[in-house]
Amino acid sequence: MVKYLFIALIGLSVTGATALAQNSTDHSNHDKDHSGHSAHDHANHDHASDDHSHDHSEHDTDHSGHDHDHDDHSSMDHGHDHPMDAPGEHGMLHHDHDHTDHHAHGEHHHHGDGHIMDHEGTHIMGQNFDKLPSSCSSISEDIEITVRAGRKYAKKFPGTAFAFDQQEWRVKPCSRITWHFVNEDKVRHQFMMHGLPRYLYHLGMFHLENTGPRTVTGTMIVPAADETYLVHCDIAQHMEKGMKAQLVVGKGGENLPSIPGLTPYVLNDVYEAEDLPKVSDKANTGGKNAKPIMQQITDFFNDNVPISGLALTGLLLGFICAPLFARMIALRKKESSNA
Amino acid sequence: MPIRYFMAIFACCGVFTATSVQASLKLPETVKVDPAALEFEPMCDPKIPASWRKAQVIEGVQIEASEHCSPDNPHLIAAVVKGTNNISMNTLMETGLSPDTVIKTDDIDGDGDPDRITIKLEVIELNGRTPDFEGLVPQFEIAPGITPGAWVFAPKTSGMSTENFESLRANYLLRLPSPVIRVEVGDIVRIVVENTHYFPHTIHLHGVDHPFSHHEYNGGKYGNDGVPQTSELDLMPGQSRVYEFQARQPGTMFYHCHVQTHTHLAMGLAGMIVVEENRPNNWLQTLNIGGGKVRHPSVAVKEHYDQEYDLQYHAMDKELSQIIQKYNDPRLIAREMNRRYDLTDATEDYYTLNGLSFPYTLRESMIIAEPDQKIKLRMLNSGGEFIAVHTHGHKATITHYDGVEQNPAARITRDVFDMAPAQRLDLLLNTTNDGLHNYGEGAWLFHDHREKGITTDGMSEGGSMSMITYKSYLDEIGMPVVAHGIDLSIYFTKEYYQRRLPIWQHLDEAGTLGAPGVRSGFNPETKTSMINLIGGFIVGLLIYLLITRRQNASAAMASVAAKIKGLKGGKANG
Ligand SMILES: [Cu+2]
Ligand SMILES: [Cu+2]
Repeated sequence: MVKYLFIALIGLSVTGATALAQNSTDHSNHDKDHSGHSAHDHANHDHASDDHSHDHSEHDTDHSGHDHDHDDHSSMDHGHDHPMDAPGEHGMLHHDHDHTDHHAHGEHHHHGDGHIMDHEGTHIMGQNFDKLPSSCSSISEDIEITVRAGRKYAKKFPGTAFAFDQQEWRVKPCSRITWHFVNEDKVRHQFMMHGLPRYLYHLGMFHLENTGPRTVTGTMIVPAADETYLVHCDIAQHMEKGMKAQLVVGKGGENLPSIPGLTPYVLNDVYEAEDLPKVSDKANTGGKNAKPIMQQITDFFNDNVPISGLALTGLLLGFICAPLFARMIALRKKESSNA
Repeated sequence: MPIRYFMAIFACCGVFTATSVQASLKLPETVKVDPAALEFEPMCDPKIPASWRKAQVIEGVQIEASEHCSPDNPHLIAAVVKGTNNISMNTLMETGLSPDTVIKTDDIDGDGDPDRITIKLEVIELNGRTPDFEGLVPQFEIAPGITPGAWVFAPKTSGMSTENFESLRANYLLRLPSPVIRVEVGDIVRIVVENTHYFPHTIHLHGVDHPFSHHEYNGGKYGNDGVPQTSELDLMPGQSRVYEFQARQPGTMFYHCHVQTHTHLAMGLAGMIVVEENRPNNWLQTLNIGGGKVRHPSVAVKEHYDQEYDLQYHAMDKELSQIIQKYNDPRLIAREMNRRYDLTDATEDYYTLNGLSFPYTLRESMIIAEPDQKIKLRMLNSGGEFIAVHTHGHKATITHYDGVEQNPAARITRDVFDMAPAQRLDLLLNTTNDGLHNYGEGAWLFHDHREKGITTDGMSEGGSMSMITYKSYLDEIGMPVVAHGIDLSIYFTKEYYQRRLPIWQHLDEAGTLGAPGVRSGFNPETKTSMINLIGGFIVGLLIYLLITRRQNASAAMASVAAKIKGLKGGKANG
């Protein structure tokens, strides 16, 4: 009996601790990365391991019968350096049309304005070097933040598959932030921020995208208001499976849900213990009845045994409460007999 | 005293019985669902510009007309014919593809078309779960309100997975089925899988002439057959892998994921791959997103046919597809799919043609014919069971089995085409009205003749059913002109597939086949429960009387007994 009580106590404390873990904020992530990533740092260009689809010999094909006069080959120039790291250098980048043009593009237009994309699909969207939000009189500070994206950052968050290296960044109102977005996977990832003022950022978005293991750099200015902005990767299931973070400006606004290690999920999965084979099961010939404590807790909550741990708890509660009930009944009797 | 109460109770019972007897004489009225209560979707997606349907030339690429109400985006066709590396940024921006999705380079044999083809595919989940709200992302309906969880190989795209930030609907490139891939005999093809999904996957090139391993990526680690038990390890999330081949034989083939194939294939990681015969100047439509009409057919196909269609038949199990909608944690999804789901106890619920079920098949997978045409149909069965496709009004000729040409003298012409799982048939649909190949123009159905194949989760009309519609039977939005009085719009409602619409009510002036309302008065079950209730009430009263009037209980009982005896005696006497 004492053993079961003890287990119940442990169970309770474990539950408490888990709840705490869900809500605790990982403040170690808050320091900004000033590791001096210059805009031209190409160290992360892992082209050797990339496929060789860009063996830039493409224009030697015979195009007879095909009208190439209207083609804009300059926009696809493969012979140059990677211009996405040089935001000021628009010469060889496609600069999308102005706001006014946008609606002429039809419904499948996924590309907003102020949108830069290079031949590898690297995007910078909503870049803003100098347009001050109306709430700011000047730039409060210039900062650089490096964000890394990859599957390996999911490791510290069980139940996720992809993540950023940090889940929260804190900046002063009216900061000008230069983001270095480093993709460490061999698939596409995005750094997409929402909720920015629409008069400065098309659709309220600032967006960096890497189609593979590369770095892209973009600059933006945050407004003066205390606000928390969503940062995520919009590839199907990447945010849902962990690639989600928030940018806190000033004191920030409301926390966003389901940021790994930072905020709780709105909808939670239900977990149950599984009967997985363990070395200890196999080697359990010592007869010392030495089940590990987690297994004992699991057994405790298992309803499929003749007298479950919970039933025993109920029994115990019954024993404690029985005298109380007896007293209440006695009191009643007394009252009624008095009446 | 108590006798008065009892009399009251008995009277009550009497009245109640009388009412219920009277009510049962009249059966409930017919309830007609007011069409105004339904949410009708437009039969044709209004977002698609009408200009997409015209024959046109973009980036020098000839694009055939497509009278379908949801034709393919012509810019997309131009982009995949020329290669995303060979088009203007403006055209590319109209497609939503990544600039490296289809790379075409090097005319090695000098015959006027590129021979190095790189195709980049991502792995995308449709109708999946989110921990943030009750709902599915990104949404893809196979029929009105029907959103099975699915996985597809999708062309590498650019930007958001939904139409926009406000919408939950999937970007139009992210859809069922996995895209049809077209390459030429002799092309050096590199299919690059970038695994953007949270599970491992591979590609197996079923029927395509491909080496078991290739030099560059072999080294004992990366093979080329896609099989995690023989040629390579599973391709993990965040990783990419190249599948390389140079096919020596043409034919209609099949590609699919070979990781946990019993679930991954049914989830949608399966598509058609066509190796076309080599011809000079053969710029191919490398991807046919959503299958259906090929608007830029190969040179060899144009030699013999007026039109070409890709038709992929697929089937999905509701219980399997719901797993990714019930759980968010990848470990739980893996547990349910790999260790708890039992395919041997499963049944297929959704039957699709090119990723959609009727009535959406009418939007893009109708065969739009004219008299005296030769139409090439490439069919693949990627479902888990045999199917039996029947063409109304036509008998077609099987020219190829599993991509291999049938001896012309031994070809079979018939009207039911049975296909085992993974099997391919190439058909010649001849629309000559000779009483054999065709019985004249019309809006002729073609459908799987296992009758469940024309249901959606058991609700008919649905499934993979579509039509061979002659242009003379096509209206201006690309929908079939059906006989007078037939209203196809009823199928474009969620309520129909929620089984909330009596299907014959609009035919039925007399109302004999509509939905019955509820009976006025009490039905037999309610009556029984009322009797129980009243009985219990009486017993309760008795017990109450017993306790409160204990002192004179015995007297009362005696008096009651006497009265009842008296009554009985009276009755007997009367
Ligand atoms: Cu991502
Ligand atoms: Cu797979």
